[in-house]
Amino acid sequence: MKTIKLLVFIQLAFSFLIGTFVFSGCKGDDFQKLEERNWSLVWSDEFNGEEGTSPDSTKWTYDIGTGQNGWGNQELQFYTNRSQNVSMDGEGNLAITAIKELYAGSSFTSARLKTKGLFEQAYGRFEARLKTPYGPGIWPAFWLLGANVETVNWPQCGEIDIMELRGQHPQVINGTIHGPGYSGGNPITGSYGLENDRYDTNFHIFAVEWFPDRIDFFVDDYLYQRIEQNDVPGEWVYDHPFFMILNVAVGGNYVGFPTEQTPFPQKMIVDYIRVYNEAN
Amino acid sequence: MKNKFLFSYSQFVFCGLLLLMFSGCERALDDLESPNFSNNPDVFIDGFSSGLNYAAFGGSVPTAFDVDEEITYNNSEASMKFEVPDFNNPNGAYAGGAYFTSEPRDLSGYDALTFWIKASQPATIAVVGFGNDLGALKYQASVNDLQVNTNWRKYIIPLPDPSKLTAERGMFFYSEGPEDGKGYTFWIDEVKFEKLGTLAHQSATIFNGDEVTVSSENGETIQITGLTSAHNLPSGIDQSVNLSFNYFSFISSNPAVASVSQEGLVTVLSEGTAQITAKLGNIDAAGSLTINSVGEGIKPASPPPSPTRSADKVISMFSNVYENVPIDTWNTRWQYSTAEESFVEIDGDDAIRYRSLNFVGIEFSSQPINAAGMTHFHLDIWTSDPTNAPNNFKVMLVDFGANGEFGGDDDSSHEVTFTAPTLTTQNWISLDIPMTNFSGLVNRSNLAQLVLSGTLPNLYVDNVYFYNSDTPPLLPTTAAPTPTHSAASVLSVFSDAYTNIAGTNLNPFWGQATVVTQEAIQGNNTLKYTGLNYQGIQLGTSQNVSSFAYLHIDFWTANSSLLNVFLISTGPVETSYSLPVPTTGWSSIDIPLSSFAPVDLTDVIQFKFEGNGTIYLDNLYFRN
Repeated sequence: MKTIKLLVFIQLAFSFLIGTFVFSGCKGDDFQKLEERNWSLVWSDEFNGEEGTSPDSTKWTYDIGTGQNGWGNQELQFYTNRSQNVSMDGEGNLAITAIKELYAGSSFTSARLKTKGLFEQAYGRFEARLKTPYGPGIWPAFWLLGANVETVNWPQCGEIDIMELRGQHPQVINGTIHGPGYSGGNPITGSYGLENDRYDTNFHIFAVEWFPDRIDFFVDDYLYQRIEQNDVPGEWVYDHPFFMILNVAVGGNYVGFPTEQTPFPQKMIVDYIRVYNEAN
Repeated sequence: MKNKFLFSYSQFVFCGLLLLMFSGCERALDDLESPNFSNNPDVFIDGFSSGLNYAAFGGSVPTAFDVDEEITYNNSEASMKFEVPDFNNPNGAYAGGAYFTSEPRDLSGYDALTFWIKASQPATIAVVGFGNDLGALKYQASVNDLQVNTNWRKYIIPLPDPSKLTAERGMFFYSEGPEDGKGYTFWIDEVKFEKLGTLAHQSATIFNGDEVTVSSENGETIQITGLTSAHNLPSGIDQSVNLSFNYFSFISSNPAVASVSQEGLVTVLSEGTAQITAKLGNIDAAGSLTINSVGEGIKPASPPPSPTRSADKVISMFSNVYENVPIDTWNTRWQYSTAEESFVEIDGDDAIRYRSLNFVGIEFSSQPINAAGMTHFHLDIWTSDPTNAPNNFKVMLVDFGANGEFGGDDDSSHEVTFTAPTLTTQNWISLDIPMTNFSGLVNRSNLAQLVLSGTLPNLYVDNVYFYNSDTPPLLPTTAAPTPTHSAASVLSVFSDAYTNIAGTNLNPFWGQATVVTQEAIQGNNTLKYTGLNYQGIQLGTSQNVSSFAYLHIDFWTANSSLLNVFLISTGPVETSYSLPVPTTGWSSIDIPLSSFAPVDLTDVIQFKFEGNGTIYLDNLYFRN
């Protein structure tokens, strides 16, 4: 019962967000004049491997299995590093594929890649060019997690969600931060919807530009959300290195459960991940 | 620096695209050749849009549609209200109709037909769609089984190929019957064509995506079915739409073996293999038809004799002579059935060709057949297979009972088997099966399935019908009329309605050949004489009937040509009276006792019947 209530609440909140967006939708004069930055590329993966090959093991490691309580979110999938769940598509992209199949007691499989222990950075620009999956209960994400998660725990370590999408609303993404006092169902978040379009049909560029006192969220280089240190009701914990995570979850508190009508398999196609820091 | 410049540029382009979209309607200059039809997207907002007409479908309740100003979406001024009738409504069986414009409209700039819908109860609406102009239905597209409930909900029907809809008149149509026999009401509002931009991942099918393989031979035709298109909706789920063939282009991999028409009709032309596939616009449809043709097959040189029975005594399932009742399918493709069906023409006569027949289900449960008034089931069959023993051919009829559905303890069925010499090879065989041979078929008024089986894998079937042979039935289907005379005015010999004379012997042995039995007909005990030559009745004691005026007899016979009844007094003194036979149903007669003179009415001891055939007797009594 508690779960159902929670879902309803989330949905209400979500509808409100969409409504907000539509009323303030992109107009022809939404031309943004932003301060110029001198970004310098420090890390990237262009995913140019042969079809079926695994991601570069010097850059990526994996979360495997179901975690605790579905990675803390009652997610339904079993994460693997099998090529059917995560591999190059041979066309210059990484494909993370959520499959409906019985596997080790779970009804779905998928993959979750991370740079933990391989690449971690504080501040800078983190961006991904990707095409999302879709369908009720599908939850793709590109996000950052504080590298000190194992010593200080979540949410003290901090979390920056650059892109999350609910598959039943493939035209809307959210950018979010979770920290102490503002996490789980009560984070600092903003959404960005496409008018007459959706995120699963074409590639879009999702990015954050992270500074000591603020984080800016972009879709296709349109700044749709700025979160400053003063905006958070708790501690500002974005002052240490974070690592990156790419995953496609199936089900879970954030998105609800897949239905009989959810099309499977579902793929997140990632053209590249690039990380910059500011050259002075 | 460089990067930032790029970012700004792409942002500018993005907004520019949006601007283009907002002004996207004003592109008429691009296609000067095409007539300038209105691109009005509105169908029904708060009333009929410009030039819109409505016509109810045949057989539907003509008044099912009305404009409602009370229950509307979002408190708008009016909605469309649809009253679905109850089962057996005399005004029509369903609600259905089409909204069409007098002048065509250009819908090519839209990608969806949308509307809001709610109902007085949760329901599944059979069909809603567009492209029905009451004419060619060229670009008809529809969604089946819309789930609706008591809340307003927006429904999206994706346009399968907007580029086809440059001159469309069919704006909207619907069809819905009772739910579980009960009528209800639904409302639709804000019906319009839209450019959503959020429909994605289009796919298409023929044969609903199945890879179908059939064996065939020259001259056979196969209609491509299961034509669908699906888009992913903004809600992330796929919406499938059923389409007319005009949206597709069909391709044969080997046109010399099998050709395919624009209408999706495949015709087998020669020996070999061909695969039929289709495209919807640029999309390759899933599903295909692979034909393995043997070339010229062994088939009947001529059709079977045409049926000659009068149409008013026939219920025809398949024949060129009669109007046929609707059959859901001539091949249910039940599990383990290997049968393939096709429809062939033999000298201008249509027949059904079964191949690889182990058994085939033929279903007509949507509109069950009432064969209670029929005496025979007829079908003509032709096979090229050996028919000598132990080969056989079986015909099973299945009745779904009063509930009209499979199961529920009221189903019954019976199978009859045919062998040589009835079966012969390469000849038309006419089977006229008396309905009484289907002895296990308890009910015959809700026939829903026919199952053909046996050891004849190659079978042609034609002239499948029930008929009434005109020969009267061999037994009464109803009880004799219940007597109405008061018990006080009656002296009864044989009747359930009165106390009968005690000790009467209904079958004294006088050397007769007649077989005497008693049968309950509709629970009423009836005396039956089978193979009558003569038959007596010995009263328990001598009776004085002089105070009575008539002898009453109810009698029924379909095949007797002579029936005399004798009254006998001690002596014996006997006099006969001739009963008119055969009867049409039960005959009741009141014979004046004076007719039996000189029989002594104070000392009546026996009756005797003389004649032939099978006789049913009841309510034999004297009365005032």
